[in-house]
Amino acid sequence: MKWSQFFNTSIGKKLLVGATGFFLCSFVIVHLAGNISLLYNDEGHAFNTYATFMSHNGLIQFIAWGLKVVILLHAILALQLTFKNLAARPVKYAVKPGNKTSSWFSRQMAMMGSILFIFLVVHLAQFWWAMHYGVDVPTASYGGTEEYRDLYLVVQQAFTHEYNVIIYVIGMIGLSFHLIHGFKSACQTFGLNHKKYNGIINFIGVWFFGILIPAGFALIPVVIFFKQY
Amino acid sequence: MNLTLKVWRQKNASDAGHFESFQVADVSKDMSFLELFDILNERLINEGKEPVAFDHDCREGICGMCSMYINGRAHGPWDETTTCQLHMRAYNDGDTITVEPWRAGAFPVIKDLTVDRRSFDRIIEAGGYISVNTGNAVDANAIPINKTDADAAFAAAACIGCGACVAACKNSSAMLFVSAKVSQLALLPQGQPERKERALNMVAQMDKEGFGSCTNTGACEAECPKGISLTNIARLNREFIGAGFSKED
Repeated sequence: MKWSQFFNTSIGKKLLVGATGFFLCSFVIVHLAGNISLLYNDEGHAFNTYATFMSHNGLIQFIAWGLKVVILLHAILALQLTFKNLAARPVKYAVKPGNKTSSWFSRQMAMMGSILFIFLVVHLAQFWWAMHYGVDVPTASYGGTEEYRDLYLVVQQAFTHEYNVIIYVIGMIGLSFHLIHGFKSACQTFGLNHKKYNGIINFIGVWFFGILIPAGFALIPVVIFFKQY
Repeated sequence: MNLTLKVWRQKNASDAGHFESFQVADVSKDMSFLELFDILNERLINEGKEPVAFDHDCREGICGMCSMYINGRAHGPWDETTTCQLHMRAYNDGDTITVEPWRAGAFPVIKDLTVDRRSFDRIIEAGGYISVNTGNAVDANAIPINKTDADAAFAAAACIGCGACVAACKNSSAMLFVSAKVSQLALLPQGQPERKERALNMVAQMDKEGFGSCTNTGACEAECPKGISLTNIARLNREFIGAGFSKED
């Protein structure tokens, strides 16, 4: 079987969705590790230094554009598979089993992925665009000679509005529900199913990626919002 | 007990189909679900009406013919049970039971509750076999096989090809079926010569038949009357990856 045929099979496509999914899982860890500095009480010195580094380092810029390609590839392939799956049952059942035979999370991957995608567009338009191309972004120098674009201040101001906080919390609920099934599902697609490791795969998928990481992200807008009171 | 049956009626593959309701009185709790249909059909025949077409054969839970999707569940509410082994004690007086055929594009309805499952046969033809030399029969148990592998192969070989996995899957995926067939042969020495071609060709045929892809919801495992496990799907994925990456043509 040629590579083109291999990656056009249902399993081949799922492998690409899983591999890009794993890459995105690694990304959320790095992204949260950096963004947690938004909660430091240092007027944004740590965060702005980090944001400036991330937006100027050549290698990171390369990975960042790769990341956007990976997100699109993940979404397009997953949508292709979803539409094919829907078409595989032209006449639907009158009675459905609900949660008796499968978990709700496992059936909502496309829905949660779509919520996440919409969230990502809003998120990039709001902060990534401001950092790279925004014209009236304030600057901070922290007593030194180097001027930083003050993304910290942009973020702090954005999260004084409750609607932004609500959008971000919904986005992170989408991420949580997506990863509760997503991580372990990708492991299964790669054939990683073994009595000795299933417990740890499930734990990492549900508790680390599904709950801890999204909760960490959601904490940032919530804490910033309540700081103003 | 008295029951209301809501049964899918469809004259042929091109008919749109509809539900028809029947009242069935004096149903014994000791009857099997298929016997309930036998009684209904006798009545319909006596009334000069068309009986409900449904598949059945052994009525011992081993042939896999009795495909009925009962109240949203493949083979009804009991775990690891075929429709013929489902008994009416699972229901109460006054219940309404909705019975549908397996729903999948790859399993077109022939009539009423019977569906065409030959797509499974074509998947088997694509690679679900081993080559055996003719000549004298070789000694049984001549090849030593690890007990764990033999048990896993036997567990996979318990698949009766009923199609409940496809019926239960929200994507109409046949991965549990294909994985059971690939596993039972991949685990044994006799399955090694065609091992790589088998995984690749059976998956290609599965896609060609129009089955959906697996999203690892586990509904197939929950509904399989023979308890085929999801570990088989992981094994199929490993077989497919291994063959796809290593086979030169």
